[in-house]
Order: sequence, then C-alpha cells, then structure tokens
Amino acid sequence: MSYLTDNQNKDYLLMGNEAIARGALEGAVSVASGYPGTPSSEIIEALSSVAKERNLYVEWSINEKVALEVAAAASFAGLRAMCVMKQNGVNVASDFLLHLASSGTRGGMILVACDDPGALSSVNEGESRTFARLVEIPLLEPGDFQEAKDITKWAFELSEEIRNLVMIRSVTRMSHASGNVRYGQLPDTHARANFRFDGPLSDPETGPVVSMIVGASELQHGPQQEKIKKAAEIFEDCPFNTYEGPEKPELLIITSSACNLYTREAISLLDVKDRVGILKLATTWPLPPKLMKRHLSCTDRILVVEEVLPILEENIKILAAEMAHEIGPKTFYGKNAGNIPSIGELNPDIVASALSSILDVRYETGSERFAEEAMLLVETMAPVRGLTMCPGCPHRASLWSIHNALEMDGRKGFVCGDIGCYVAGVFPGGFNTVKTLHSMGSGSGIASGFGKFKQFGMDQPVVAVCGDSTFFHAAMPALANAIHHKSPFTLMILDNRGAAMTGFQPHPGTPVNAMGEETPSLDIAEICRAMGAKVEIRDPFDLEETQQTIHHLIEHQEGTKVLILRQACALSPERKDKPKYKMEVDEEVCLGENCGCNRFCTRIFACPGLLWDEEKGVSKINDIICVGCGVCADICPAGAIKREEVV
Amino acid sequence: MPDNLLKDPYNIIITGVGGQGNVMASKLLGNMLVGRGYYVTIGETFGASQRGGSVMSHMRISGKSIWSPQIPEHKADVIIAIEPVEGIRVLARYGNLTVKLLCNSHPVYPSSVIRGEAYYPSPEEIETSVRNMAPDTTFIDATGEAVSLGNPILAGVVLLGTLCGTGALPLNRKDFHESIANRLENQQVELNMKAFDTGFRLLKN
Amino acid sequence: MNVLGSNELSENVINRNLCTGCGACIDLCPYFKSYRGKTAMLFSCALPQGRCFAYCPRLEVDLDYLSEKYFERPYNSDPLGFYKSIVTSRAGKKFTGNNFQSGGTVSAIMYFALEKGYVDGAVLTGQESILPIPRIVMNPEDVLSCTLSRYTAAPTLSAVNRAIEEGLSRIGIVSTPCQTLSTAMLRANPLGEKDFTDPVGLVVGIFCTWALDFRVFEPFIASRVDINTITKIDIPPPPAEAMEIYTNNGNKIQIPLEEIRNLVPDTCSYCMDMTSEFSDISVGVLEGDPGKNTLIIRTERGKMIVDEAAREGYLIVDDMPEINLEHLKWAAGNKKKKALLKARKNGMVNNRGKDKISYIRLNNETLEEIIV
Repeated sequence: MSYLTDNQNKDYLLMGNEAIARGALEGAVSVASGYPGTPSSEIIEALSSVAKERNLYVEWSINEKVALEVAAAASFAGLRAMCVMKQNGVNVASDFLLHLASSGTRGGMILVACDDPGALSSVNEGESRTFARLVEIPLLEPGDFQEAKDITKWAFELSEEIRNLVMIRSVTRMSHASGNVRYGQLPDTHARANFRFDGPLSDPETGPVVSMIVGASELQHGPQQEKIKKAAEIFEDCPFNTYEGPEKPELLIITSSACNLYTREAISLLDVKDRVGILKLATTWPLPPKLMKRHLSCTDRILVVEEVLPILEENIKILAAEMAHEIGPKTFYGKNAGNIPSIGELNPDIVASALSSILDVRYETGSERFAEEAMLLVETMAPVRGLTMCPGCPHRASLWSIHNALEMDGRKGFVCGDIGCYVAGVFPGGFNTVKTLHSMGSGSGIASGFGKFKQFGMDQPVVAVCGDSTFFHAAMPALANAIHHKSPFTLMILDNRGAAMTGFQPHPGTPVNAMGEETPSLDIAEICRAMGAKVEIRDPFDLEETQQTIHHLIEHQEGTKVLILRQACALSPERKDKPKYKMEVDEEVCLGENCGCNRFCTRIFACPGLLWDEEKGVSKINDIICVGCGVCADICPAGAIKREEVV
Repeated sequence: MPDNLLKDPYNIIITGVGGQGNVMASKLLGNMLVGRGYYVTIGETFGASQRGGSVMSHMRISGKSIWSPQIPEHKADVIIAIEPVEGIRVLARYGNLTVKLLCNSHPVYPSSVIRGEAYYPSPEEIETSVRNMAPDTTFIDATGEAVSLGNPILAGVVLLGTLCGTGALPLNRKDFHESIANRLENQQVELNMKAFDTGFRLLKN
Repeated sequence: MNVLGSNELSENVINRNLCTGCGACIDLCPYFKSYRGKTAMLFSCALPQGRCFAYCPRLEVDLDYLSEKYFERPYNSDPLGFYKSIVTSRAGKKFTGNNFQSGGTVSAIMYFALEKGYVDGAVLTGQESILPIPRIVMNPEDVLSCTLSRYTAAPTLSAVNRAIEEGLSRIGIVSTPCQTLSTAMLRANPLGEKDFTDPVGLVVGIFCTWALDFRVFEPFIASRVDINTITKIDIPPPPAEAMEIYTNNGNKIQIPLEEIRNLVPDTCSYCMDMTSEFSDISVGVLEGDPGKNTLIIRTERGKMIVDEAAREGYLIVDDMPEINLEHLKWAAGNKKKKALLKARKNGMVNNRGKDKISYIRLNNETLEEIIV
C-alpha cells in the first residue's frame, strides 16, 4: 500500500503534486491522463502508482491534446477525470480545450496546469491562467499543500455543478514543494462508465456531446457563460478564499498560489501584520464580485502579488473600475506600477522589498558586511554550474558526431532543435550545434521549411533533432509535411528510450504504459519508412560509423531522410549502475596540454566523467560519476584513454 | 505540536549537485520531523538537477504552521552542503555569522572547470574562506565515507547522521530508522543506517 | 620564424579561402580534419603556437630562411629555384608499372628508393574513385597503385604526419609545390623541439600550376561522365589544350582546358612555385613529348639517387632541349611574378611588427627582381 492511499489520522509530508493526486483520489477520480513536463509529472506518476489499488485508468498520452481528449471521454461517460500538463502543454491542448469548454462536461473534470515562474526547468516562462479566461472556465489556485489536496477534491464537485471543465493552476513552488497534509476519506471505487447520446442535442446530460453548432451561438456560448456566472456565485462562499488581517488595513494584499506563502512571510519579516491584510484567493477566475467589493471597500491601497502575467491584477482593476462609484478610488500596487517584478519567480525577499517601499518600513536581510563579503566569495570561489549533459549521455556522442560532420562538410550546416535534454546542444556542452530551439517538435517543422529554400540560393545542409517521445508528440506531422513537400533535410531522432528528461515516462514507442502493463511499442523506424523517408539506425556511441552515416545523409541533398541514433539514457534503468567499461587514463601516453591535444577530452568533449589533474598535467577518470560508456577512448588523439569491458 | 526547536521556524538548506541524493536527504529529514509532529515545508529546486546543475532544498521546521518554501536571504540556521562550492553559493545568499554549516569536502567540478575556463578553489582556500564567513563550520569527507560503504549516493545520509549528531534538531537514530524502514528494502535500510551512524559518530570524535 | 596557433591559421587561411588542402595540419591533432578535399577546424585548440601554423605553406613562409637551410644562400629570383641540373627522363625497364602519367619518372624513382632502402616508407596519393587518398606505402610494389595524377588538391601531408607518428625516419614524399614547401618547413623544426630529427629521406616534388577543389571538380566531371568508369585523367603537355578522361569502356573524353581553368581555386593564384623548389628532385611533363618528363635535380641526395636509378636501369635520363628549358622558365617565372604581385597587393608579403602575419617573407632585392 502506498502512503498516498493511507487513511490514518496524522500529518503526511506531501509534495504539492502528491497532494493534488491525493485530492483527486479523495474526489473519486477514475481516469487521469497527461503528458510529462516539469513541474507537473509527479501527479500522473503518483496516480499511476496506485492505479490498480484504486481501480483507476491512468495514461501518459502521446501529447497534451490527446491527453485532454482521453480525459474528456471519461467525463462524457460520466466518470470523474483529471488531465495534467505543464504550462506549455496547455498551448498544445488549447485547440480541443476551446471546444471542450464549449460543449461542456458531464463527470467532474479537472485540467491541472503547472506553471514554471522563472523558467526554472522550462525554456520559457509561460502563463496558463490566460486560458481560463480565454475559454471561459473557472480557475482555482491552491495557496498551500493542504489546499492543493482539498481544492482538487472540491474542483470535481464544482465541475459537476456547473457542468464544465475546471482548471487548477499550480506553480513549481507548489508542485515541487512539500508540506504537511491531513488526509480526508477515500471514497469507494465502483464508478461505472456509460456514454449517453440518445437524448436531444440540447440536453447536456443525455444528448450527443458536440462543440459549437454552426451559427447558433445562443445554444452553447450562452449556456457556457451562464456556467461561468454560476461559478462566480459559488466562489462568493468558497471556503478557500480567506482573509487575514485588520478590519481596515492600511494596505490590502491580494494574492494566490505560492505567492500567498511569500506574502505571509514578508509580513512577518517586516512585522507589519497590524497594518496589512491578506486576501488569499483560491478562485482567481472569475472573481466573486461581492467578496471582492467587501474587501476592496475596506482600504484605499491595494497590492496584488502574483507571478508571471498581471492577470489577477487586471481582473481586480476591472471590477474596481465597475464598482468605483460604490467603493471609491483606489491606489493599486503590483506589476503594472513596478512594485512587483514583471518577470521571474517571486520569493519572500522580493515581496518584503515591495512592502517595505510601499509602507516605508526598513527591510534588512542581514549584515551588510556579510552580504558584501559573501558576494566576493561567490565571485572568486564559486564557479558557475552551467547546464550540460550527464556523464555517458548518448546525446553528447550524437551531437559530437553531428557537429564534426557539419564542420567537415563545411557548408555551414546547422541543427534545428526542440525540447529535450539535447537543448544543451545550444551551449558548449553540446558543442554549440543547435541553432534554432522552440517548442516540442518544432525543429522538424522549421527544418522542413529551411529545406525548401534552395530556389533562393540557400544550400546549407539542414538537420533537425528530436527525441523519441517528442517524435510521437509533435514531430510526426512535421516529418509528414517534409516528406510530402520533398524537403531535403535529415531528421535525427535521438532515441534514448523514454521521456528521459522528466524521468523515463513511457511513450507509444516503449513496451510498457503508465500503469506498468505491457503494451505494443510502435517502431519509429517503420513509421518513418511507411511515411516514405529513407531511414538509417545507428548507435551514437559508435562515433565513426555515425559520423560516416551523417556525412552520407547530408551530402545527398534529395528528399527527407531519417537517422535514428539509438542508445539508452545514462540514467535509464537499463544503464544506471551498469557500466559497460572500466575506464582509465594512461598517464604516460596522455599528451596533456601539448600540441596535438591540449586537453581535448576535458576541454572540448568535456564529459563530466573526465577530470583534469592540474598537478600531473594529465587527464583522469572521475570514478565516482563515470558510467563507463567508453566513448572518450575513441576521441582521445593519443589513445591514452583505455577501456576495459566490465564482465 | 512540540515546541522544542532552537528557533521557530528553524531553517535548513540542503544543497549539492544533481545526482548526489539531495532530494532524498531532504525527504528523509522532512519525514522524520513530520513524524515528530512538526510542520515541515520543503522547497526544491531540481529542474536541471539531472544535468549537473545546482540543487537546493529549503526546509522550514515549525511548531506553528507551514512557511514559505523559499527561505529569506541570510535566514538559514543550518546549511548542509553535499558539494563544497554549492555550500559557498548557499552560504553567501542564505547564510549569516551564526549559521551551522556541515560541508562535504568532496568536490564535483562544474563543466566550466573541467573545460579549464573557470577556477575551482583548493580545499584549503575553501576551508579558510568559509570559516571566515561561518565560524561554525564542519568539513566532512562524506563522499569518501559513502564510497567506502559502497555507494557515493550515501553521502547525503552520512551528513544527515552528522546533523543529528550535533543535537541541532530533536531527532535521533530511531527517527531515522522509522523514516526509512517502510520505504526501503531491508538490505538498503541496513546500509543507510550504517551511513547515518558513520556521520553521527564523525562529529562526536 | 613567426609561429602562432590554430586560431590564427583558421582566421588567416581557412576563413580567407587560402587553404590549399595540402594536409600539413591534418593528423597532428584532433582539431583539424580533411574531408573531401577541404580542411576544417572542428574546434579551437587554443594553444598560442602549434605545428599546424608552423607547417602551413600559406603562413609565414620565410623563403630566405628555407633557402639558407637547404641551399646555403638567400632566396633568389631564378624562376626554377636552386638546382644542379635539368634533364629529361622516363621510367627504365626495371620499373614494371604500366598505368602511369607521362614518363613514369616519379613512380620509378620512388619504387627504386623504397627497394634500395633510401626511404623506409613512401607517402603517395592513391584514390578511391576520383577522390585522392593519401597513402603510406612500405612495399615498392604498392607504388604501382599510386601512379596517377588527379589534378585535385589532396591532403597528402596528413600521411607524412601519420608516418612520423608511426616512427618512420626516412620518409619518401611525392608532393606538389605547396606540399613541398610545407615539408621543407616541417624539416626545419620550426618549434625548436628538443629531440627533433629530420624524418624525411627523399622529396620528389611535382610541377603544378593549379590543383582543383575536389568538391567543384567532382560534380563538374560527373555531369559529363559516369565517375565510376574513369580509369585515368591526363593533361598532356603543351601544346595540347585539353584534359583527357579515359574510361573503362575505352572511351576518351576531352574537356577544353579553358573550361577547367574557370574552376581553379583562388588560393592557387597566390602560389609562387611551379616546380617544387624545395625538393630533392622535381618532376613535370615535358613539353611536346607526352612520354617523357622534365627532371630537375636540386640536391646532392637527389643527384645520387637519380644517378644510381639510371645506372641500375630504373630510369632513363637524357639532355634537356634548350627551347624546352626556356619555355619552362618563362612559365615558372610568370607564375611567380603574378603570385607575388597579387600577394603584395593584398598585404601578405613581408609585413613587419608584432601581430603582423605575412604569407610570405623574402629579401627585397629578390622581390624586386621577380616583380619587374
């Protein structure tokens, strides 16, 4: 039994994501789907770990749009369903999202979107809350870990009450933070699925479920807006909207999510709880007007504390403008006024600084001398830890061969990349090979375009890279497009056997699913061949063979080609703690800093499993982290790096 | 809730490099404390951890409530550094003159250092400058101890043992055993207990 | 000599399209690679000084220094460089090859030098299809597979670097003028290495007025003939004005030289040397006689080996007709003058001052004599 399905009367230390999963279990979820993406992945992982015990159906879908469709099917069949994705995923799902919000749902359905303010583990700092307003569905934001659980459970009820999807937005500091959570009861698990469609089209419970009927907006858009109005009414009494502070605060802070915790701490740091009140909102769209009016009436000065876009701030301002004749004019502080930074994640210090200037109280973080010395210490003693690939990463070998082949080719060839660990290809760790980087699969689409510009005199070889999971997620349509339009580029699929970056979640190419059951695995090579591409498969650890193949593929400019570079991730269960070789440097042979080498292995190849011995002037193996892939033996110009097979 | 903390909230940061068992150490410690009836909040930064990035867990221990998952600057009470330079980084931003620093002496070189583009200070330089900033600092070859126990990943557990050995927290060997007993296999439990005991003893001597 | 590193080499030669693709910087280190006739720097090695720069025939070529070293006097303006004698030659009966270029002199001499042990290995250029491939040949019989001209630049000197690495100490080299120049620079120990010994046993230089870029030449030829059927490519001596391509079905295709000259890379126009002036022996075609070679004997060692090869029947030598010599001198002098004028115009000659890199350095007197 997992601690997630315990029922003891005690506190559990749960990650925000686990709390959301527990909330879903307490809310009688039956179906959960998602696509992995930091910081959201642990929700589906937690649910899949108890899927059998709790009679759930859990899947890692091919992409976020399909995930949302799978969850929607559950709702249409009367089951409670949850769909989980990171912020970027909501963009992918958004086409269906708009339709779904319009057709409405039956069984309670939640979309959980995990944003990453500060882009701590994302390639951009996106905002998913905008979608709630865009597609007119209610938005909930938990303000601590207990709420993360409780709000999730409550969201199912809300969804069923208004017959539409409810969105929960979490952030990294909620999803990936942990705190005490008290459990509620787990319900029985006897849900039955039945899709009813015999009723009239106009009956949301028994008729067919269809999105917008052409030219008849009153049939759906009208009712949809009624639903959001009803949500606002329910939100007036939502137990998760709380106020703490004096009756007539000098300053009212309105906040939500992790910012709630930062704000509380900032008030405590400045010791201003007698002057400041916190209105912590869990229901950030639509805002409950009566509740807002009550609180806005109590003060003239309002600070909105939120991350990424000023969405809460703007919605409050709209309400305040409408109520101006009743509540009087207000002074607003926040992102727009520049009190709260418009980029990056917040923390208690940032909120405290904002408060200190608004309230004119001094905020001291510590001794200034300590801070100055500390700054100097970091500058002189703490070299930056840049993003690189792990020891023994197959991407390093792949990018090495791609880089060298393109340089030797000499026609200024380049790589279009997308999202995966190989984003390191933008940096020296990946030999600065990747020259465009955007969303999932977009390198393939961009390459499909680049390949067609020969008529404008462009003869640079074009290469795209994508991962195996990314191939299924979004690169397949781009590849089909390229083949159909005879775009001459080479797609290199860096197949490391799973969604490695987020923790080896399965995808359609793996032989198991999220619940650990055996499933048919789709053969990427056969798919590409069936699409009409010329396909080669190589082991990137065989540098010479790989490089020769790349040369061959990029030299022959006609048509779309696919090279699958297949080697399991160094952290995969398949390779972890199973070194193939024991590596050693022959100090006598190592050329060190001499002409002919100059630390080629540590300075250029720069696998972290290699070290430079300053005293001896030779390279050495870092036995603690070397995983024994053996590749460095092949790049050493002197043959000084030896590998011995581990038996 | 118990109230025998030296300070409330009591702030601990565990820092290191991806793959050093940072997250595991903070989880274990957090579970021990929740088991003892405290409120614990942990904020993790590990998005880029698998790719050799800095990793940091902020832990707030309180008898009263949940706190922010990020500790305000210069408000750490204890810093556990599984990697010395990461210890410096955290000390500079979150430390103060009275912070207790437990520092693994085993370096993990950033790629800029392996490339020869950046300088990694010598153990002596690290020790001198760190002690200057944080007089209550203990250096421990936790990785060395962990390797002799069979797995460098145990360095975090060695340091947890050391932390418990200092008496800074109301925790003992039994709490640690309880926190791992139902999560790990028997053999692993034994190994982790050995690592904990090794760390616990280090400071006693 | 002014020796810098790979960055300066890349910046001043490769990036400015002055690289001849000779292979002097290849196989010394993992940073430079040659692929299909082109040299590329994959990464910067970041050293302030390197052999790549020191050996490059397009950087800091100090003609006076090299002349002093090999011929014990400063560089002069003779269009053919320093030499002892000039004769005509062709392979003798003892040399058993048959598919060779002109008189087969080069192959016969290298065959002889290998057989007699004057060289312990020969660096030659073979081919795969029409792509030139540098080879280290240890066995005289293997010379027979490297007897053809290709008229494209080849990284032959990479094989010299490999041969040195393998421990050969009397390497025989067949080289074009830029390669011959680079070899002379290598033998001068430009980095002052302590335990340096001259690894070269014999340099047979060949005449060259240009060498094509393989990547330009290949599609050019492929559009005219199936590359896989080519058995030999030849440019017969003047007055013939054509490239001849022989195929395995007995066909011969002629391409007017005018068309070929359009393909000549710019770097060849900076080359002052038509006859491989820093060799032991230089060999070219003989005007008006496709069955014979012109042979320039430059050094004592060259003379000794030619004499012995002739005595033992590997080579047949004869007097050089005066008229041929005159034409040769005119052609070589013309090339030298044009190249030097162009180099000077582009600020590549005798630059003074720190950080000033020159392509070539030579005494002013000779410079003036060449360009009048």
